[in-house]
Amino acid sequence: MTTAAAITREECRTRLATIAGAERVVSTGETVTVAASDVEQIAEILRFANSNGIAVTPCGSGTKQSWGNAVEAGILLDLSRMNKLREHAWQDMTCTVEAGCTWTVMQAELAHHGQMVALDPLWPERATVGGMVAANDGGCLRLKYGSLRDLIIGMTVVLADGTIAKTGGKVVKNVAGYDLHKLMTGSFGTLGVISEVNFRLHPLESNTQTWTAVAPEPFQFEHALRGLLDSQLTPSSVQLRLSETECELDIKISAPAECMDEHSAKLSKICGVMELSPSDETVWQARQELHDTANAVVLKISTLPSDLCLLCSELQDWAAKKGMEIAVVAQANGLVTAALKTAPDAAIALIDHLRERLRKVGGSVVALQVPGPLRSTLDVWGCESNALPLMKEIKRRFDPNRILNPGRFVGNI
Amino acid sequence: MLPQGHIEELRAAVGTDGLITGESQLQTYECDGLTNFRVMPGAVVLPRTAAEVQAVVRVCARHKIPFVSRGAGTGLSGGALPSAGGVVISLARMNRILEVNIADKYVVVEPGVINAHVTQRVAPQGYFYAPDPSSQSVCTIGGNVAENSGGAHCLKYGFTVTHTLALEVVLPNGEIVQLGSPTLDAPGYDLAGVFVGSEGTLGVTTKVTLRIVKRPEVVQTLLAAFDSPQAAGQTVSDIIAARMLPSALEIMDTLAIEAAEAAVHANYPMCGGLLLVELDGPGSEVDALMRQVLEICRNNGAQETRLAQSEAERMLVWKGRKAAFAAMGRISPNYIVQDGVIPRTALPRVLSEIDRMATAVGLRVANVFHAGDGNLHPLVLYDRSIDGQEEKALDLSYRILHLCVDNGGSITGEHGVGKEKQEALGYMFSEPDLDTMQLIRCAFDPANISNPDKVFPRTRLCGDKPGPYTPHPLETAGIAEIF
Repeated sequence: MTTAAAITREECRTRLATIAGAERVVSTGETVTVAASDVEQIAEILRFANSNGIAVTPCGSGTKQSWGNAVEAGILLDLSRMNKLREHAWQDMTCTVEAGCTWTVMQAELAHHGQMVALDPLWPERATVGGMVAANDGGCLRLKYGSLRDLIIGMTVVLADGTIAKTGGKVVKNVAGYDLHKLMTGSFGTLGVISEVNFRLHPLESNTQTWTAVAPEPFQFEHALRGLLDSQLTPSSVQLRLSETECELDIKISAPAECMDEHSAKLSKICGVMELSPSDETVWQARQELHDTANAVVLKISTLPSDLCLLCSELQDWAAKKGMEIAVVAQANGLVTAALKTAPDAAIALIDHLRERLRKVGGSVVALQVPGPLRSTLDVWGCESNALPLMKEIKRRFDPNRILNPGRFVGNI
Repeated sequence: MLPQGHIEELRAAVGTDGLITGESQLQTYECDGLTNFRVMPGAVVLPRTAAEVQAVVRVCARHKIPFVSRGAGTGLSGGALPSAGGVVISLARMNRILEVNIADKYVVVEPGVINAHVTQRVAPQGYFYAPDPSSQSVCTIGGNVAENSGGAHCLKYGFTVTHTLALEVVLPNGEIVQLGSPTLDAPGYDLAGVFVGSEGTLGVTTKVTLRIVKRPEVVQTLLAAFDSPQAAGQTVSDIIAARMLPSALEIMDTLAIEAAEAAVHANYPMCGGLLLVELDGPGSEVDALMRQVLEICRNNGAQETRLAQSEAERMLVWKGRKAAFAAMGRISPNYIVQDGVIPRTALPRVLSEIDRMATAVGLRVANVFHAGDGNLHPLVLYDRSIDGQEEKALDLSYRILHLCVDNGGSITGEHGVGKEKQEALGYMFSEPDLDTMQLIRCAFDPANISNPDKVFPRTRLCGDKPGPYTPHPLETAGIAEIF
């Protein structure tokens, strides 16, 4: 157990049982798991951990606990009991949801009024809102609706010292005070524990159509992709899927039924000689399938949209040359997921090469999922920002005793 | 006043032609668009490069001189109001568009670039820069970043933060950092997201990478005349309930219509509540949705609906709307522009309450608002020459903000907190909320010199304990002072 003060695991367990109830506390190895049922309990648990120097890892369903650097937590703060959609102001198109609510449960409730949070995360049946926000996850819908941070209008956060702070509000437009929720989004639980999130909502995409084109080489999509992004069509999602031998371009459009034929015709014109065939919605599961690949190193690569086809070609060539298995899903906005099955040294070599290559466009490579011991030897984040000292200072101010996911994030924050 | 030695250091940083110290010239900078607050700065500098900004900030950091950066000075909450004897960093000379990248949909600009010039630059390629505050023909991108400016189209397109990919910033200690990246999701905390809207309290922006958007195929603008703003408000709710996301939904009441008509002759129908609906997107989609909108308007008792028939007509409709604030001068000697937000559904009851409150104190309030996102701009009309009326008007405008918060809203949707609404921020957020925000401020600016005494309701030094004000140890020791 990571404790600075002299406190035994048993004492920790006893204290947590007093806060949350004995039935909510479980010991596994050196870690004590406690399931909080409300924000006050979170605050009390954190106050206890903070004053005893015990490392805490907040956790929803744990789908992304393998992302980032490994943390040896004394307390695993389980938020899965805080799982309610607390408010759905459907006429205002906003909602407030507890951090432990799974994505699918939330979306199902919002759908009663034809609304959604316009985001498609990984493992929606299991992933919780808090975990998703902490990890800044999101899929292809981002092209049309923007990133997760743009959909969050407020948040309740518990700081390491037990302070319960609200940020933002429940209205879509609001510039009062600092946007703490932007800082929290993607901070991997290193600054505070997210207990509640307010989202702005969008109408459900009620009528959608997906098309797919196939080509042997990614660069053959260059013209179509550029044309599509430069067009006045507003596709919901566009992705390139790449295996060692084949490449596919998927396009999804949401529009009133009476407009779909016209959009389809425009799409065909943009794609020129490429043949577009209607395809199944399951193609949008491709990113998740890469994350589910057993024993694969999964990279999140960020580049400029205009670089996508070239980058995909290079990945294909690199894999062929080095004899590695690679599968890629590249979103049109420049975010690429790549799953590699190869020896650790070969993975590191590719990551180093990509980081060097992407430096000139300000791109990045994060090794999101790294199997086995490679996780502790690899620089999973590759953060080269000259603002890293400032980030460390923010961490120091928010969590001076370094109890919240210590070491998990960039620069071992 | 600044000591001569500090003035000379500033001169060394920006050159003689980049330094203003003469009293009459300094007066130009004593306020921004919120003219009832005025403070004389000690000096104004006009740097031309990030290196010069850095040199100025280093002088300020060395001597603990408060500074505020300033663009066109169009802000309406006193965000660019100087500290007494402090330094104003005018970014007006840093006004170059440095890069246009159509393939990747971004531009890189200096902070003094005027908002509308970004769109002008990329319009030939069919693109535009989406945030469009009413002052867009004069306000600058640096100011937009500081205030997280919105405009009429943020319901669909978002705010400045939505369109800011990266920033170059001079921190209050003089270091230059890059926040964000032209590519998405750079590893680390989203500091660009935090910096946008921080109202100059976290540092000085010296370069901004902005997202640009493809101009939609078709834009249609509809005017619908109703008996009351409430009926127009109900129409907005019904449009949203019909799963539409118009690019703009604006409402003006009779007083606002009268003023706008007097100013720009927009040919608005005279009515109790005028609704402006703008839809954009692929032509066939817009046609289909506009038919639905027309039906919803009729169902809510619209006396008249009028679809702009040409781009010129559409521009005139918007000219009237955007001129509405300034037009108040036509119907009232003085007025206060207020900026609050409420949940859209609270619109009818909040409007009725504002009406009641205004009547009770014998004042008129004109209403112009971005109805789609619940952003109200009540304009409190008064006559300064009548004894006591200005105080009454100010009091009413602050009580309207409290009303917004009481209805689950916010004290500002786009004008910022600045100097004007510091105390109101304390009405909206609790002490722990504000203390948490202070953690960010102190990480960026531990010496509290970057636009100090703004935004937060109570002046604090970093290291202060939450609770009632107590002098900071540094202050007691005479090493620091509360600016």
